[in-house]
Amino acid sequence: MHSRLFAIVRKEAREVLRDPIYLGLAIVVPVLVMSLLALGFVLDVKNLPVAFYDQDRSPLSREYMYSFTNSEYFRLVRMAGNASELDALIASGEARAAVIVPPDFSRRLTRGQPASVQVLVDGTFPSRALIASGYIAAIDAQFSARLVTAWLERRGMVTSVLQPVTVDGRVWFNPSLETKNSLVPGLLVISLMFYPSLLAALVVVREKERGTIFNLYCSPVSRWEVIVGKAVPYVGLAFFVYFLLFGLSVFVFDVRFVGNPFVLTVAALLYIVASIGLGLVISVFTTTEAAAMLVTFVALMTPSILFSGLMTPISSMEPSAQAISRLIPASYFMAMVRGVFLKGLGFRQYASDLLTLAGFALVVFTIATLRFRKRAG
Amino acid sequence: MTRRLLGLIRKEFAQISRDVPLGFILVWAFTAAIYSAGRGRATETTDVATAVYDLSRTPSSREFLSHLQRPYFKTVAYLDREADVTRWLDRGKAAIVVVIPPDFERAVDGSGQAHVQVLTDGALAMPATVSIAYIAAISSRYSIDVLQRRNARAGGEVAAAAPTLDERLRVTFNPNMLSAWFASLLELLNMCTMVSLLLTAANLVREKERGTIEQLLVSPARPVEIFLAKIIPTVILVLALSGVSFTLVLKPVFHLPIRGNLVLFYAVTALYAFAMTSMGIAIALVARTIAQAIMMMILILQPMIFLSGAWNPPEAMSPWMRWISLLSPLRYYIDFAFGVILKGNGARVLAWDIAGIAALGVLLFAFSLLWFERSLRTSG
Repeated sequence: MHSRLFAIVRKEAREVLRDPIYLGLAIVVPVLVMSLLALGFVLDVKNLPVAFYDQDRSPLSREYMYSFTNSEYFRLVRMAGNASELDALIASGEARAAVIVPPDFSRRLTRGQPASVQVLVDGTFPSRALIASGYIAAIDAQFSARLVTAWLERRGMVTSVLQPVTVDGRVWFNPSLETKNSLVPGLLVISLMFYPSLLAALVVVREKERGTIFNLYCSPVSRWEVIVGKAVPYVGLAFFVYFLLFGLSVFVFDVRFVGNPFVLTVAALLYIVASIGLGLVISVFTTTEAAAMLVTFVALMTPSILFSGLMTPISSMEPSAQAISRLIPASYFMAMVRGVFLKGLGFRQYASDLLTLAGFALVVFTIATLRFRKRAG
Repeated sequence: MTRRLLGLIRKEFAQISRDVPLGFILVWAFTAAIYSAGRGRATETTDVATAVYDLSRTPSSREFLSHLQRPYFKTVAYLDREADVTRWLDRGKAAIVVVIPPDFERAVDGSGQAHVQVLTDGALAMPATVSIAYIAAISSRYSIDVLQRRNARAGGEVAAAAPTLDERLRVTFNPNMLSAWFASLLELLNMCTMVSLLLTAANLVREKERGTIEQLLVSPARPVEIFLAKIIPTVILVLALSGVSFTLVLKPVFHLPIRGNLVLFYAVTALYAFAMTSMGIAIALVARTIAQAIMMMILILQPMIFLSGAWNPPEAMSPWMRWISLLSPLRYYIDFAFGVILKGNGARVLAWDIAGIAALGVLLFAFSLLWFERSLRTSG
């Protein structure tokens, strides 16, 4: 029985090894893609292009504008001459935010009255709009606090302390707040879902399309031997790619790594088995390679990016989205990868997540085995 | 020529329609997948899960904390012990923890200074930066109130107003900052990209693998016709499925406003699909098996999707990356589609984007066609 399993493993492994272009691509592509994204993907919003329409043209209004342009978050695109010019700048995307300073700005403020400023933010990309409006709110509030302090001082009240409540922001786990520290481990998760499942998704369906599946139908191997035997070489290949990507993140991109590599490796192995299993399920259900490939893209890749917490923390999601994220192996592995890389957590914290991944792998392999019928049609 | 071409196109459609799982996933991609992307709020920085560790437990601290409101903050827990702070951040159950010092009320009511600590989970870089900005705004506003109160207490006249900025925020094009509009439309554009590229390449490689391309070669059809017959069905399919997506998901479910000209949108989408299908042919010419083709497509697709400017703003990219992204048709297409649908821009404002798609499209089309003709001649 075991020799039959080994025979299938050997046959599959040989098939991969004898297509050096494919083998090379399967190894090089994840590495290249990860490098490109790690180098080029910046999530922080800085240098937001902002435009002003200053109707006041006073020293105070200029000071107000400097509080924008002196921060690293904004970059002045243009001083507009009228409001419709601002609208055009926002519509064309040249400016993502615009501020209109009213004519009575400095007059009201020096008299101790509130002055209104109009802020326009391009809402086409909501996350960018939120970030921009957050920075603007912070700048406006700080400017107001400075004005009030100066005003109270002028009226004879000695303000010993500048601001009664200050905020001391501390970033844990990623003190320098570098995008790469949060992004590169995330890419590792997406890559190890995507490539292994894609490789596996073609395995059975390819034999169906070429007709070689009939050799298996009339051979004495059992269903589980076919499924497991086909999975093993790809698990090995994906595991090798995992080591490459891990080494790349830690040694080349210098991502903060404070945890235990052994925990991560165990988690990665379970995760790879799960994603190979998912690929095999797709392969068993589809009839053409084109369909198998599209299913992998649409049904695996998209949810893994959207619901795993790569961009939005799962804790911010709505309950229904959180429920979906609990069904996806990528979210468990994402939590573990970030926990091990950045937070130094280990087996103690992640025992249940590891068990969940193992259970998931078992379930998908069972489905693949049961659905694989040794019968034509 | 047209009759032969029509015959070939009909053959391609017949092939696609007989692959039931493929048809199912195509419809799924343009309906359910787009629906779930719109609901998934994948790019959201709102509702940051906030845990509060209030060591002061006074009316003042509660008043301060009451400013942590939706849509930016979602208070998920009130912590009692210091160990809980670590636990909640470790497990990612909270993205930030706000710590109010024990002397908060004394400092605020007296003349001192209170230091509120905000601990953020740096594993989530974006929410961390943004929430600190919002809390800084809250504390400045709160400080103004405190200063006013101190002034009144010190016997100063109680002023009805203070010189503060009254910010009137207007968010254009998407006033409620609904991420569903953004995410669902983006997903549609990504699906158009993926399907145009994948379907064409897979189709041609399959014919190569099975050797049926030889049959086409000995048929009276000319290479141009075979080439067009490979890409036109995909282009038509993508246009039709986009229409399905608009009528079944984007408009009725997410109430996406269509402010611009839909004819312009479809016209440029067709142009874009031509560019991407041509790219698919080029890949199919290099690859010998579908598996090889897939790996090559990912090498192109993944960077294209991530660097399209939708996830991260172009102004934040490094200069050389911005240059590379000029070569990606998707970058222009996303800018174009959001401009025409959400902003209601016309062809004049979007001329640059349309020109970019057209230029890359013509290049890819000509390149693939020439190569296609040459490789058919040498293999035939």
